Amino acid sequence: MGIKKRKLLGLALMAAMVSPWSLPGPATAEVFELDSVKNLYEGVSFDHDMHIEITGEDCTACHHHTAGTAPVDPLCVTCHANSPEADDPSCKSCHAKDVFDADNMKKNWDTPLLHHRNKPGLKAAYHRNCLGCHEEIGAPTGCTDCHAMTEVGEKFYNTGKYAPEPTAAGQGGGHH
Amino acid sequence: MKRLNRRSFLKGGLASGVTAAAVTGSVGKADAAGDFGGYPDSMGVLVDLTKCIGCRTCEAACNKEQNLPAPDKPFTDMSVHDEVRHGGLPRRTSEKAYTVVNKYEVEGREHPLFRKVQCNHCQEPGCLTSCFVNAYTKTPEGAVIYDPKVCVGCRTCMIACPFYIPAYSYSSPINPVVKKCIMCYDTRLKFGRPPACVEACPQQVMTFGKRKDLIDLAHKTIKSRPSLYLDHVYGEKEVGGTSWMYLTSQDAPFGEIGFDTHLGKQPIINYVKEFLAIVPMVLTIWPALFTGFHLLATRKEAKKNDESVS
Amino acid sequence: MKTYVTQGFEPIDTLKKPGSDTPWTLKEKLLLGLSSGEYVKQLVRNPFNWILAIIYAVGIPIILGRFYYGLGWVTHSSYDYPWGLFLGWGLFCMVPLSASGFMLGTTVELFGRKDFKPIERLGLLNGLLGYFFAVMFLQADLGQPWRLIYPMFVSLGPAAVLFLVAWHVATYLTVQVAELVPAASEMMGWKAPKKFVKSIVLGLTVAGIILSTLHQGALGALFTYAPGKVHPLWYSYSFQWFHFFCSSIFAGLSMLIVVSTLSKWFLKWRCDADFLGSLDRITLGLSKGASLALITYLIIKLTAVAHDNEWGLLFTGWGQWYIFELSFGVILPLILYTVAIRNQSVAVARFAALIAVLGILLNRLNTALITFNWNLYQEIPHWREIVITVTIYATYILVYRAVLYRLPILYTWKGESK
Repeated sequence: MGIKKRKLLGLALMAAMVSPWSLPGPATAEVFELDSVKNLYEGVSFDHDMHIEITGEDCTACHHHTAGTAPVDPLCVTCHANSPEADDPSCKSCHAKDVFDADNMKKNWDTPLLHHRNKPGLKAAYHRNCLGCHEEIGAPTGCTDCHAMTEVGEKFYNTGKYAPEPTAAGQGGGHH
Repeated sequence: MKRLNRRSFLKGGLASGVTAAAVTGSVGKADAAGDFGGYPDSMGVLVDLTKCIGCRTCEAACNKEQNLPAPDKPFTDMSVHDEVRHGGLPRRTSEKAYTVVNKYEVEGREHPLFRKVQCNHCQEPGCLTSCFVNAYTKTPEGAVIYDPKVCVGCRTCMIACPFYIPAYSYSSPINPVVKKCIMCYDTRLKFGRPPACVEACPQQVMTFGKRKDLIDLAHKTIKSRPSLYLDHVYGEKEVGGTSWMYLTSQDAPFGEIGFDTHLGKQPIINYVKEFLAIVPMVLTIWPALFTGFHLLATRKEAKKNDESVS
Repeated sequence: MKTYVTQGFEPIDTLKKPGSDTPWTLKEKLLLGLSSGEYVKQLVRNPFNWILAIIYAVGIPIILGRFYYGLGWVTHSSYDYPWGLFLGWGLFCMVPLSASGFMLGTTVELFGRKDFKPIERLGLLNGLLGYFFAVMFLQADLGQPWRLIYPMFVSLGPAAVLFLVAWHVATYLTVQVAELVPAASEMMGWKAPKKFVKSIVLGLTVAGIILSTLHQGALGALFTYAPGKVHPLWYSYSFQWFHFFCSSIFAGLSMLIVVSTLSKWFLKWRCDADFLGSLDRITLGLSKGASLALITYLIIKLTAVAHDNEWGLLFTGWGQWYIFELSFGVILPLILYTVAIRNQSVAVARFAALIAVLGILLNRLNTALITFNWNLYQEIPHWREIVITVTIYATYILVYRAVLYRLPILYTWKGESK
């Protein structure tokens, strides 16, 4: 469930290799395929440019304090008022894909004085970040609005070709 | 006549003594079991209801992990949120679903709030303490598990569960058993992994960790956003504490989203202790007391017999 | 049967045929001295048997269905109401009404009140059969009845109240069988068993008191596991066990009055002069006991309301229902019993007993079913559940009658050497 933004354009890939000390300000025109946690659903084709535009170039809206812009949330300001831009501001660099694996659990709970103890994993970071905004501005919020369900997903959700016989619907076994 | 009485008195005393011994042993154990406050390092889950979007992925994950029968409707069908059963109540756990997510439209709130229901894995479970074949176990990891091989099917656990969680497979004539969430004990918890629902959740509504750490985290979370969260960790104290605990939003207090807020802090077994305490008393005092009554009541008769013998 | 007796027939009450030394055979004893043909004829003549036949015609297939298709076929399979009529009626109502066994045992054997001797055996039998059929009801209700002995030997959960109930009911059933051994011994002509039981009768009686106190109380304590589910007026974690125990005293005595009255009306031919002659006096004696228990119960019921400060609840709908239960089921029989004792009126006492029995039924059904889940919804039992309950209860009556026909319960066995 780690974050792995695979850049589709070769150009972007090259840019990424050079990027550690470059790129103040918004990343270049890119459409990312957010697919590192794909399983039940396909990856999401994410138009970074379009989102930059929508947020009015406010990187904080998604990147907290890691994109070089100052956070607004008073809770974050306490520590991150002057935080510099992160070397890698991508989601996956902070939000672990395998948030529940033993190492992560241990790090999370056994690091003394850790402030971000409940930092969401990559999957949750995506969903919380995206859905919160989408809900607010009336952007799509349905699961398949952003990513198509895979066959694994259909099996998992008992839907599509794995949907139960409609005759069984509503019959909960006679209980109340 | 008198001698016979004396002898029968002794025998009677002996007979009741044996019964007494047989049952007092067990009662002593009952009292000891009553003060159990939970394993110190047991795991738990903190559910932040403000984050739940009601997508039912947890239900699907549970269904697959526990090999439950196929659902009546696809897990993508959100119409279940509007289903109403007997008494105008929303869905509950059943023999086919160990967890369900219900929707609550709370007055004064723009968006509905969703609540996930499953076994709360009490620190001192009512089901466990009411079971007369010891079918339930509270594992050191925190799960309340159930052994279907010894269950007689009296369903007292269903009576004793303050959360209305255990379901029963009434439809099976040969092997009906209790069906409830076991916190994925066999397949996950035992190996230090969180329950399937926790891991599947796209919003990470649930945090998995040691119960005591989760309590700290819960209060920290509330303190960090006092205007968002209601200052109450449901499950921290309720019925002696539960392994699953909940945070809700200020504008959707627990009472309005289907939680019973009148359960009190006592574990269920505490309500039964008053009776359990009289058991050894009856067993030890009654034989002597009533035999005494007998001797008093039949004193005249005995005296008469005595005289006639001598 | 009445017809035969009016025709001069005398049912067997001796070991040997009158005027000879040949003992009755077992078959003759079981047929009461009638030929098979005569016996069948009286069965057919009795309209009550026709009612039983109809009940069985409907009930037996449904009982078979319960074990073939499972509990889901006969009940609503409710997760919220895991206990239905089988336990609500069969366990929680049958057991208190069967408290007569230990009450009469105590009165006669322990307190030496030999004046109650003529009804002692009826009291014991009422106890034994009530418990036995409570277990039958339990067997109908248990998901896996064949595991009934698990709590005894396979997997023990000794901290549970039900564990106590299971052990005590089992032990107490044994005690009651033992207490009735003398009756069977007389009929069969055995001497040793009777003598043996007689020698331990005090032990049995004391065991009976202990076991009864505890399991009658335990049935109440079972509901203390559900503090949020039973309505607060019917719930008292301090007094629940005592409510159940105390009410079982007048329940058992009142039931005994009812049963003895029925015996007097419908089985007069089987009652001997000793029984019939002393019944009025005994009924009034039992009434005294019952009224004492009733007043104690009333006080402790009100104490519980005061203890939990629930006076306000009395003004709610459930409160009205509670007041009705208490007025109809406790205060009314209490008044009637008092009137009966003061005026020496057996008829009023019998009526009081009937009301008291109904009052107990109401209380137990209220606790187990009607007020249970009071803040959720009410559940009306499935019709098949009702049919099975009626069928098992009919069997209880049938067995009860069959035993009264034969064993020296209502009459004294003659010609037995001491």
